[in-house]
Amino acid sequence: MEHAYLGVDVGSISTKGVIIDKKNNVLASQYIWTQGDPIGAVKELVRLLEGQFDKDRYQIVATGTTGSARKLVGVILGATMVKNEITAHAVGTTTFYPDVRTILEIGGQDSKIILVENGVAVDYAMNTLCAAGTGAFLSSQAKRLGIEVEEIGDYALRSTHPTPIAARCTVFAESDLVHKIQMGHPREDIIAGVCNAVAANYLNNVGKGKKIVSPVVFQGGVSKNKGVVAAFERALGCPVIVDPNGHLMGALGVAILARRGSGRQNFDFAVENMEFRTREAGCGGCSNNCEIICVYRGSELIDAWGNRCERGARTH
Amino acid sequence: MEKQTITIGLPRALLYYRYYALWRTFFQELGMEVAVSGPTDRDILERGTALAIDEACLSLKIYLGHVAALVGRCDYILVPRVSNFGRHRSMCTRFESTPDLVRSVFRNSGQEFLSYEVDEEQKKDEAAAFLELGRALGRSPKDVRRAYKLAKKAQAAHYKARVQKYEQQYRRSGLKVLIAAHSYVIEDPYMGRPVTDYLKRVGVIPLRADMVDRDGALKHSRELSSTCKWEISREILGGIAMHRGDVDGVILLSAFPCGPDAMVNELIARRVKGVPMLNLVLDSQSGTAGVETRLESFIDIIRFQEGKL
Repeated sequence: MEHAYLGVDVGSISTKGVIIDKKNNVLASQYIWTQGDPIGAVKELVRLLEGQFDKDRYQIVATGTTGSARKLVGVILGATMVKNEITAHAVGTTTFYPDVRTILEIGGQDSKIILVENGVAVDYAMNTLCAAGTGAFLSSQAKRLGIEVEEIGDYALRSTHPTPIAARCTVFAESDLVHKIQMGHPREDIIAGVCNAVAANYLNNVGKGKKIVSPVVFQGGVSKNKGVVAAFERALGCPVIVDPNGHLMGALGVAILARRGSGRQNFDFAVENMEFRTREAGCGGCSNNCEIICVYRGSELIDAWGNRCERGARTH
Repeated sequence: MEKQTITIGLPRALLYYRYYALWRTFFQELGMEVAVSGPTDRDILERGTALAIDEACLSLKIYLGHVAALVGRCDYILVPRVSNFGRHRSMCTRFESTPDLVRSVFRNSGQEFLSYEVDEEQKKDEAAAFLELGRALGRSPKDVRRAYKLAKKAQAAHYKARVQKYEQQYRRSGLKVLIAAHSYVIEDPYMGRPVTDYLKRVGVIPLRADMVDRDGALKHSRELSSTCKWEISREILGGIAMHRGDVDGVILLSAFPCGPDAMVNELIARRVKGVPMLNLVLDSQSGTAGVETRLESFIDIIRFQEGKL
């Protein structure tokens, strides 16, 4: 049997998974919506990956998880590597683009910039805990404008006069947008304006003070939006590379990290049929009242976290 | 008739972390007891948040929670006014306003407060302020001078021992990260402590920019800014200037929304190049996930550069 490695990236909006061989060739990949249910999404993801995967030829020997639900999903999948998204994206991107100097990443809730020199990440920045200008903002504005989030790019590219929209803060951007709609600006111009606002917001916040050097690779769910890609190219004055697998870079990166790591655990596709649930248990051991998350497989507690001290440790 | 022992309440927040050896020794030498509020927990934060205006910084909210925890438990609560130690040696305006602010917030509590004022630009130095403070508590000038002298000695010895402990850490082998933060942020069990705990857990040695010889730091701060006027910020700037070559990374740790940090941390980010830097702003979220993601990735980046990941 040849060895294979599973990487899963569970973000707030989408869940991504890849299986690679030891030369980083993609054997299976999938991208689905998280829809507020990371456990359900990852079970569905595993089921879909199983369908593309040659189980007679390969055995998954290590699993990595990343994204905001990395810990929860790591427990469920028996991960040998649990890594933050920045590291995963940096590793994934530099593996496929060794020359890259700047990685722009906009996800559903987070946005980040990673600066690379000689294939090594040297500096990065992440949005503060405010989610302004991320995918969540685009989704809610698409809903307001009555279009699908996937259609935003095509609308934006049809515009010849993008409407200026205040980009400092999502709350201001939204009220500005409503005002412009009521003033009678054409829909495609407003949508193009929203895309420009996302790019401007990103460059003024996350990208502030960072020297953006070409080649620039743009990834994360928002990189699928052609309107935002065009806005970045205009603002930066250089081409912006969007890899067809760009949305999978986090999952690829963490699969590579799992391969490089020392942990080994054969992966069993049976998890797709297991019952997992979580429960929040207030600790009550002291006035901190830590919010402890307990994860159960069937009725068995398999992990718990969120406690600041030993008093909140849960074992059953 | 013998008088009952007077108890002085010390809120465990803000300047407590800078002056506790001084305060404790001074009052004890005058035959008084001190009562310190417990370590910050969610209850203290919530009480403080309810008492503060929304725009107040997290550190002040926590301070008010500590004051509330002491109300009714002591004869006086010490709330000093420390404005400046001379030109270009100012404290944040918070420390100028706290006595007025606290008296106003707790005006109906029946609690008595005690204060002293340091404002060297107005010729009010700390020694004079403490003399006045001791006399207001009914002690003779001779006793007060003696107590202040001992307190200063205890404070200096305590601080020196701490600085030495940190200086030794620089000689240890391993990944070292210099944290630039106010002592009341980094030492607070609810705000900064989870950050240093996390770093230790992943095998990183956390160091502190403010834990250096203070006179030296004030001089060295000019290498980064000749005009910065905040005393604590200058100590931090000086500490960075003195130790930037000895560490693998710098974390700028700040409590939202800190006025001096908003300006000084930006200055540090622009003027200190060639060392990985993380800007971490703490607010009152109950979870630590966002903070841990940022710390973990920061440490990864450093290990990447050193080829250890």
